[in-house]
Amino acid sequence: MNEVLLGLSHGFSVAFMPTNLMLVLLGCFAGTLIGALPGIGPINGVAILLPIAYSFGLPPESALILLAGIYYGAEYGGRISSILLNVPGDAGAVMSTLDGNPMAKKGEAGRALSLSAIASFVGGTLAVVLLAMFGPMLAKFAVKFNPSDYVALMIFAFASLSSLVGKNAIKSLFAALIGLMLASIGIDANTGVARFTFGIPDILAGIDFLVVVIGLFGMAELFHLVEQQIRGNLKLLPIGKSFVSFKDLMLVKWTILRSSLIGFFVGVLPGTGASVASAITYGTEKRLVGDKGDFGNGDPRGLAAPEAANNASAGGAMVPMLTLGIPGSGTTAILLGALLLFNVQPGPLMFEQRPEIAWGLIASMFIGNFALLLINLPLVGMFARLLTIPQQYLTPMIAVLAFIGVYSVVGNPFDLYMIIGLGILGWILRKLDFSLAPVILGFVLGHIFEDNLRRALSISAGDWSILYQSNNAVVLYIMTIFIILVPMFVKMYKKRVSKNN
Amino acid sequence: MIADRIFAGISLLLIIGYGYIAFYVIKAPFQYDPLGPESWPKILAVVSGLSALYLILKPDNISLDISKSVFIRLITVTILLFGYSFAYEPLGFIIATFLFCGLFARLLGANTLNSIYFGLGLGIFGYVLCAIILELNLPAGPLESLLG
Repeated sequence: MNEVLLGLSHGFSVAFMPTNLMLVLLGCFAGTLIGALPGIGPINGVAILLPIAYSFGLPPESALILLAGIYYGAEYGGRISSILLNVPGDAGAVMSTLDGNPMAKKGEAGRALSLSAIASFVGGTLAVVLLAMFGPMLAKFAVKFNPSDYVALMIFAFASLSSLVGKNAIKSLFAALIGLMLASIGIDANTGVARFTFGIPDILAGIDFLVVVIGLFGMAELFHLVEQQIRGNLKLLPIGKSFVSFKDLMLVKWTILRSSLIGFFVGVLPGTGASVASAITYGTEKRLVGDKGDFGNGDPRGLAAPEAANNASAGGAMVPMLTLGIPGSGTTAILLGALLLFNVQPGPLMFEQRPEIAWGLIASMFIGNFALLLINLPLVGMFARLLTIPQQYLTPMIAVLAFIGVYSVVGNPFDLYMIIGLGILGWILRKLDFSLAPVILGFVLGHIFEDNLRRALSISAGDWSILYQSNNAVVLYIMTIFIILVPMFVKMYKKRVSKNN
Repeated sequence: MIADRIFAGISLLLIIGYGYIAFYVIKAPFQYDPLGPESWPKILAVVSGLSALYLILKPDNISLDISKSVFIRLITVTILLFGYSFAYEPLGFIIATFLFCGLFARLLGANTLNSIYFGLGLGIFGYVLCAIILELNLPAGPLESLLG
């Protein structure tokens, strides 16, 4: 415990440095703006702004603080378009539309927005507290991980990814494999042999992380918006003067606490993130309240649960990223990639070797949550006005931002063609119901997975049994089997129940 | 359902190509570790090939649901984007962005005058903000002497 307090005080000394303080506020503000735009969620927001943040030439801890601010801000901002337009920014915000939008339709948009801001604040803050408590503990445990344990951990990560994300397990797995294959392009670091480069000099060093992120998320988003623009005539609901009451807070207090805890732990699982967390908590609350609630028609509990959960899961997803170097969600995969751009390898040693990054980030998340609550309650009307930007101007701006982002960092026009190609791929994947987050997780984890597998087999001189000889690995394989079987049993159980009815 | 099958089918062809390279082309001049540079792509090719086969045999019930007008617009946008990338360096950020944004906004339904204002505004404002104030690397193009 002492160690945590010591770390935190170091973290706050980093986070309270004037530049970093400014960056947290800037990130939260920009994130809320981006998150509030219809259709753009945290993952696209961070993806579009990442290269710009990178090109500022900030030290890694400052850049990460800025990006985490954007991440948190976008999770907050997402509720604005969910509630007022019924358009969720990303999968994580879908559940917030179910009761948030009906509340706004009843003329209680102000109440819904302030309630969700408070739920987000509690969820986010509680998650940071848990992260500060559990993070270093897990890191200490993970220091003893050897390469074969890491292989087992990767298998667990990909299993939970495919069994929990998306509707179709094979599709999520396939998406992750696309990412892994993209990562295998370029010169092999161990042998210097070129793989899948076809003699094109621009990809000898592999496909740049920024190119993949901007292409798959930013450009795919643009195609998606163009497509939606023809169909949609979005109607913005007025905010009005209603505000959350003490009675509301009493009604939702246990909902928020429960949902924050569930959200955090779901967020810790690799690959799952906000969408799974908000769906689980919404379902839980609905079942707990039973017939007494009015879920789906504007029940405050139905809004508070997913809002607390998706912010808590954002904090939870940081745990595996900071302690194991394995991102817990698509957005943290982008943050991990950002750290790698700075030559910082996140992992169990980061709390000891780079405390200014690990603890500075945690402390800045505390500050960011307060800042978000403070700027969100009074300024929500201003953010909401953003929703009135006509799509015909918003969409070209995304392209311009993406181009600036990619070009300013790498300075190679070839990358511009690549992001368009990846954008088309991303759009097709989205149309066919593949989730994109596994692609980026696969891409980021590809090298770690391969390196550890090769290292483990080098240690054993080619004997594959080394992969299941340590206790850690065996525990992880058992967890893997568990995480594959549970959703299957749940499905079978549901089928049987519906048959009996 | 058909869209899913077509996608999985094309993916399978690409994976076969990927696998062919993994199995027959990638060779390390000297065996460095038990796996070498080719084994990992081999594993990926086999696993993803099986997943693609599964998707061909058991596709989801999804239709692409794109009308002709949406499709034409998406193609136009793609052409515009490629044109923008093509013009980015030779014409410079300001001119390329002006042309791209003006045409794009017009395509999405803004009127001609507003599209011109928007393109011009974003081109100049974007350059001043990103290249001059934030000192990011953006191409100046023929305006270089003017922007100094």
